[in-house]
Amino acid sequence: MNTRFMSSRLVAATGLWAILWFAPLRLALERDMAVHMIVQLPLLACVGYLLAVALRRHEPHWIAQGDWLGIPGLLLVIFATSFWMLPRMLDAALADPLIDLVKFLSLPLLVGLPLGLSWRRMPLLGRAFVWANFIPKLGAIGGLYLAAPTRLCAYYRLDQQAVAGWALIAVAVALGATWFVVVFVGWPAADGEAAQTCRAPQEAA
Amino acid sequence: MTMAATATRSAISPRAAVLAYLAVSGIVLLLMMLLGLTMRLAQAQWINVQPDFFYVVMTMHGAGMVGIAGLSGAAVMWHFVRRHVPVSTAIFLTNLVFFLIGAVLILGAGFIGGFGAGWTFLFPLPAHSGSLWSPNAAASYLVGLMVIGVGFLLLHLDIARGILSVYGGLGAALGVKQAFGLAPEKDGPPPAVTASTMVLIVNILGILFGAAVLVVSLVNLYVPSFTFSALVAKNMIYFFGHVFINATIYMAVIAVYEILPVYTHRKWKTNWAFYLAWVLSTVFVLTVYTHHLLMDFAMPTWALVAGQLISWLSGLPVLLVTAFGTLTIVYRSGLKWNPAAALVFLGVAGWSIGVIPAIADGTIAVNSVMHNTQWVPGHFHTYLLLGMIAMVIGFMTYLTNPQPRYGFAWLGFWLYLGGGIIFVLAFLLAGSESVPRRYAVHVAKWLPYDRMGSVGAALAITGVLILVARFFAGMRAAAYAEDPT
Repeated sequence: MNTRFMSSRLVAATGLWAILWFAPLRLALERDMAVHMIVQLPLLACVGYLLAVALRRHEPHWIAQGDWLGIPGLLLVIFATSFWMLPRMLDAALADPLIDLVKFLSLPLLVGLPLGLSWRRMPLLGRAFVWANFIPKLGAIGGLYLAAPTRLCAYYRLDQQAVAGWALIAVAVALGATWFVVVFVGWPAADGEAAQTCRAPQEAA
Repeated sequence: MTMAATATRSAISPRAAVLAYLAVSGIVLLLMMLLGLTMRLAQAQWINVQPDFFYVVMTMHGAGMVGIAGLSGAAVMWHFVRRHVPVSTAIFLTNLVFFLIGAVLILGAGFIGGFGAGWTFLFPLPAHSGSLWSPNAAASYLVGLMVIGVGFLLLHLDIARGILSVYGGLGAALGVKQAFGLAPEKDGPPPAVTASTMVLIVNILGILFGAAVLVVSLVNLYVPSFTFSALVAKNMIYFFGHVFINATIYMAVIAVYEILPVYTHRKWKTNWAFYLAWVLSTVFVLTVYTHHLLMDFAMPTWALVAGQLISWLSGLPVLLVTAFGTLTIVYRSGLKWNPAAALVFLGVAGWSIGVIPAIADGTIAVNSVMHNTQWVPGHFHTYLLLGMIAMVIGFMTYLTNPQPRYGFAWLGFWLYLGGGIIFVLAFLLAGSESVPRRYAVHVAKWLPYDRMGSVGAALAITGVLILVARFFAGMRAAAYAEDPT
């Protein structure tokens, strides 16, 4: 990885962050609950992920060693995303520019960055387990948004809340279907694995 | 080096881990059978059980039996699939630990907290106990299920990882190309891999839906104003429940594919029909659950019609190729019958016979009359008690029988078979007379069936006790032995 690669990722991350912070776009994305949750928040996490890609080579040793199997990093991601899933925090971000700034800093630094660093350290089984938990929980949260008897956010109408609920369910279904198709069809085996087709098991046994 | 040898290292050997699963399964199976006997004795008015406690016992019996069917089925599947793909013993044992933690939470919910909403925890019943149990007791039950689900999810994901590392995709491991004539049959995956792939596909999906509805139920428990659609919740619960209990049979049937060839000295032949059957059953098991909701008038008509049509077909593909394969592999093979072979053979027979009353109940016109009668426990006990459990006990006997001395085992076999037949016939006969199921108190006219069922249950339990005791006696030696060949 050369300096140009790192610089381009840093520029992309900073640029994306600046565009998202740009007031007209920020207000437009935050105007609707579904867009706020499903577009703006993940894009902010993407900023952090790009940072991780750029800085991966310069990651301090003690972080890499302490992040056993990527579990501490993923726990940080889960806690930070759970925090910003609270309707009260969405409200606070809309009401107070300072809280909005905290959101703009914490999602890249406490979600995207650790995700980008820890995900690669996590074994395949752990990644599958995270996906398998994330997808149904997304659907369940969408269901709860639909089931809520009152508005969960003071700044969003009940119909916007319902749209957000359906959107979360739709994302869960799309992710689940994609995941299923990928593992069912499979992916091209790398180099030596190519020969390990259906005949391998009989030889192994 | 075999695939098994490349599996993750663990302090406990893979074989010892399988034996640990089976030991837990044997003990819990007997305890749950005793709970079942308690219910039949209470209905027969031979013992006195308070109705509220009856429903606690019914809930624990249902949850315990479904759980132990899953656990013992997983032991069969894992034991044989690890011959072909690398799997982790540590993850396998983690599932056992999660299962035991979940079981403690569930038993506590029932016997301490008085939770008696049925193993299906139908929304919103856990939150409407009529003061018979507290929200904490219901939460303990739901969290217990979640913990068990997490363990099974890890296990299935690990097997999926192993299968993908060898086959590249689940479609290849299922034998989709062979099923549709796109690849030579001889290059198809072994039966254990095909069956395990089907099981992990359906069970992962089932567990994910189950987890989602458990979260919703937990929220409703403590914030009752969150009222989820009861019909959607019921669909999700029965999707999860139907898939999970069906998968136990598909896991256990691997014992038939692997054990009968050992004793008949013939190979279990796989061809395009075998693979096609498993592909079709994968689709059917995922889509047939609506036959549990045939009495729900609020369901869309098309879903109920689909439920009826698919339930006529659902179990048949795999059942037909397995039953046909069983008969052909045994016929004129010179097989010297032993309890292990007899038990797995009985398992196929019990499964085949039990499906017939089940298909009858899957017909809307019949279901509207029979579904709330003892016909239903009649059919599911036939293919679970005399089908799935027979395969598992056959596997236990197979593992602990390198030097057979079968006297006691045969006694156990015949008591189990005779008692089991009496027991399931009592349910089916009572069902045909419209005796309702899930009633704690029975009227005098129904008592003969209850007493017949009690006698049958007692005999079957005695038989299983002998077979399980024999397993424990041979367990230590089996830990260091090789599989019979």
